[in-house]
Amino acid sequence: MTAAGDTALGLYLAVPFCRSKCTYCNFASQVFAPARYAEYCELLARELALAAADGLAGATLTSIYWGGGTPTLLPAAGFARILQAIGDHFTLAPGLEHTVEAAPGTLPPERLDALAAGGVNRLSLGVQSFADAELRAVVRLHRAATARDDLARARAAGIANLNLDLIAGLPHQTESSWQATLDAALEAEVAHVSVYMLEVDDDSRLGAEVLASGSRYHAAAVPGDDFIAAAYELACERLEAAGIRQYEISNFARPGGESRHNLGYWLRRPYLGAGLDAHSFLTAPRPRRFANPDTLEAYLAPLRAGRLPRSAPTWLTPQAEREERYFLGLRRNAGVGMPHEPDEATQAAAAAQHLADGLLERRHGGIALSAQGRLLANRVLADFLETPLALS
Amino acid sequence: MDRQFIRNFSIVAHIDHGKSTLADRLLEATGALTAREMQHQVLDAMDLERERGITIKAHAVRLDYRARDGRQYQLNLIDTPGHVDFSYEVSRSLAACEGALLVVDAAQGVEAQTVANAYLAVNQHLEVIPVINKVDLPSADPARVKEQIENVIGLDASHAVLASAKTGLGTEDVLEAIVHRIPPPAGDAEAPLQALLFDSWFDPYRGVIILVRVVQGRLRVGQKIRLMSNRETFAVEALAVRTPKTVPVETLSAGEVGLIVANIKRVADAQIGDTVTDEAAPASAPLAGFEEIKPMVFAGLYPVETDQHTELREALEKLRLNDSSFFFEPESSAALGFGFRCGFLGLLHMEIVQERLEREFNLDLIVTAPGVRYLVEKRDGERLEVNNPEKLPPPGDIAVIEEPIITATIIANDDALGGILKLCEDKRGVQKGFEYLGPARVMLTYELPLNEVVLDFYDKLKTVSRGYASLDYHLSGYRASDLVKLDILVAGDPVDALSIILHRDNAFERGRALAAKMKELIPRQQFEVPIQAAIGGKVIARETVRAVRKDVLAKCYGGDITRKRKLLEKQKEGKKRMKRLGKVEIPQDAFLAVLKVEQ
Repeated sequence: MTAAGDTALGLYLAVPFCRSKCTYCNFASQVFAPARYAEYCELLARELALAAADGLAGATLTSIYWGGGTPTLLPAAGFARILQAIGDHFTLAPGLEHTVEAAPGTLPPERLDALAAGGVNRLSLGVQSFADAELRAVVRLHRAATARDDLARARAAGIANLNLDLIAGLPHQTESSWQATLDAALEAEVAHVSVYMLEVDDDSRLGAEVLASGSRYHAAAVPGDDFIAAAYELACERLEAAGIRQYEISNFARPGGESRHNLGYWLRRPYLGAGLDAHSFLTAPRPRRFANPDTLEAYLAPLRAGRLPRSAPTWLTPQAEREERYFLGLRRNAGVGMPHEPDEATQAAAAAQHLADGLLERRHGGIALSAQGRLLANRVLADFLETPLALS
Repeated sequence: MDRQFIRNFSIVAHIDHGKSTLADRLLEATGALTAREMQHQVLDAMDLERERGITIKAHAVRLDYRARDGRQYQLNLIDTPGHVDFSYEVSRSLAACEGALLVVDAAQGVEAQTVANAYLAVNQHLEVIPVINKVDLPSADPARVKEQIENVIGLDASHAVLASAKTGLGTEDVLEAIVHRIPPPAGDAEAPLQALLFDSWFDPYRGVIILVRVVQGRLRVGQKIRLMSNRETFAVEALAVRTPKTVPVETLSAGEVGLIVANIKRVADAQIGDTVTDEAAPASAPLAGFEEIKPMVFAGLYPVETDQHTELREALEKLRLNDSSFFFEPESSAALGFGFRCGFLGLLHMEIVQERLEREFNLDLIVTAPGVRYLVEKRDGERLEVNNPEKLPPPGDIAVIEEPIITATIIANDDALGGILKLCEDKRGVQKGFEYLGPARVMLTYELPLNEVVLDFYDKLKTVSRGYASLDYHLSGYRASDLVKLDILVAGDPVDALSIILHRDNAFERGRALAAKMKELIPRQQFEVPIQAAIGGKVIARETVRAVRKDVLAKCYGGDITRKRKLLEKQKEGKKRMKRLGKVEIPQDAFLAVLKVEQ
């Protein structure tokens, strides 16, 4: 059963529950009755046991990341049950980064205490905006004041490593409301800020409405791409000036405050994903990616029967690995090494083309996206894929 | 068989009036195919023909029919192409017949191709039998249609057959009319051989197969034959008729229709309209009416991937094996690289060739705006034919340019008249005829420059008439005209593949519209892209495609790399359909922008 698997890895725990579904959300998260939370936690704990038995028993966890959904909706008992399973089957690396994503307004004192007691040392708060009109428009249940309050209490509870998520491009966002959001984010003096840009696609109800030129969900008040690009640039500038330096397209941190777990994605370090629609990347004995089902029943049913619910693995070919190194690695400001011929002919050509058009620049003897290149990253990264494509 | 019991006939109709369905019905009724064997529209064998509901190639099928008089007849059904692009082929197919069924939709009545085809048949001195089809439709009005046939075409419609090819109603009446009203073929089986070649195609196993009507004399297996236009000789390896299964025969005599296999290598050697004769005892003269088919519409064809140039050439050569009516020659474009200038019989023909190249040969193509052949006389007296705007001499060198003119017949409801008259006027048309066909139906005759028609005339005609106008045309000559070359510059560089030749009076407006359309079609790029329209170096319109600011996927998605990869793969696939000109990426369809301009 237990072929030699990865011995050190990150752990991602997906908690798909929300109090309300934000209009821009395209995750496999939903509003489920709290009655279902207990079973979910129980079966997630079972998944961890099964995954450990499948080649990962005793592996050292270098980071734990609870994502969502809204992990802070989990009842204390469920949270404890999962932590228990982690402790039973894995080894925790000394000083590991242990992050929980939280929606402002879901952190009563007892929950904060339970998190801290459970070893959580980093909190990622889904603030999105400090403008109440924008929060209301996308059906966030919290207000700016809630977020400020939560930050203060998290610190009081001993969780000092804090991240704020912000979204450029929310409906009704204006230059001055965005400035105000950035002001508030800087005043919070957090270690880490993530700045996302609103994604308009058919996977969210707001995105679909924008594409259909409709008016529901405040779609008509979504700012255009030019505004979003300018807002993003402004955020980069102001965060940098405050010593919060960009290290990835959407991520900014004070020195040492980078998210180790998320860095693992771009550096292609192994991680195990557990929970609904969670994705995994394991490297030993051979690199492969697989994912759990993205509907609750399809995820739970196999676990009830004592089986892992994951998809068949996609084994990465040398080509796929080569492509990933570039399209993931280039997301980091540190960039990647210069591609070399003849093994990396496609990548060398792409590098040459985009060094010439200014979307890439040289960095530390390698290449990295330029400021304009970060905003046009899809165009650059697509050119690092080879023809014929590795997967499709 | 005794010639007295042979009938050679064709079916002509406007598109969708039920020609192919009637043909199927005749096959079924004569037992050529049982209902079980019938595949709908047996005669339209090419996929494209079935999909588009049109006939591209001619066919001939022999039907055995026992008539009400108790005698056995051999009916040769010669199916003709059903589109204006192929009217020469239609005329040759008709020349192989003594009679024609003129199928007219009982609800729609006489349309432009009804008129054009009926005239073709009448001019070949065929006995034309009107068949009013779809009489089972609630909106059928056979009396009105009869009246139109008499008034517009001048045929006696009192004995028109009422039929419904769909239900089978009237099928036997049609067969009886063929037997009793179409004369048997004349022609002496003992005279020197003259056989009309009215179609040919390439069979990978047997070489070129030709379809002939023996007009006089006799064909037999083993005979040495000669094609009279090019004096090429061949030995007849096999003769056959189609029932529609292919049945070998030993001889074909005057009056009969059949296939010849004679080890002919190239379709180009077996031209439609040519006369087949006996090498040892040739006829003194060929049959009348042979013409070299000349392409009327020209466009550049380029592979999107420049490394597919050889594949494109091979595909064109293969297609030409089966279709000698299109021509191609290598050309190169600064914008598009190496490609081919291709000539077609018309726009539909062009679309068909393009579609077959993409479908059967899996090629990704860029097609430039269609144009026509101009006759240019230079100031130094040199005369040239120009079918590529890039080859037009500088304005200062040109003494006269002549452009091809067509005579167009348009039939429409009179409530659309205003729009149609305006369209014809915008397209520099000269009205030659105006006739009411009935209370609300009008037939217009116009002389129009072909270059206006190939661009977008037909689509616009359909629009202004809400789909109810029909169009037919034929080339009627050349006329001197004030023509100029309009260039489109993208990011400051002229894109040769986007140049068009047009009348000076339309150049300004079209240049402006074209620049605006290009702005729509060219996606935003990393840099601002200016688009200009110019005549002889003078810029007449300018638009700007603003630079794209943002194209990035920001979210982490809990390590879902597959999602990111899929998005990037989609982007990469999309790029493949773009042509890179300097720093600018232009989508394939932008090269046809000129067809999409709304005026």
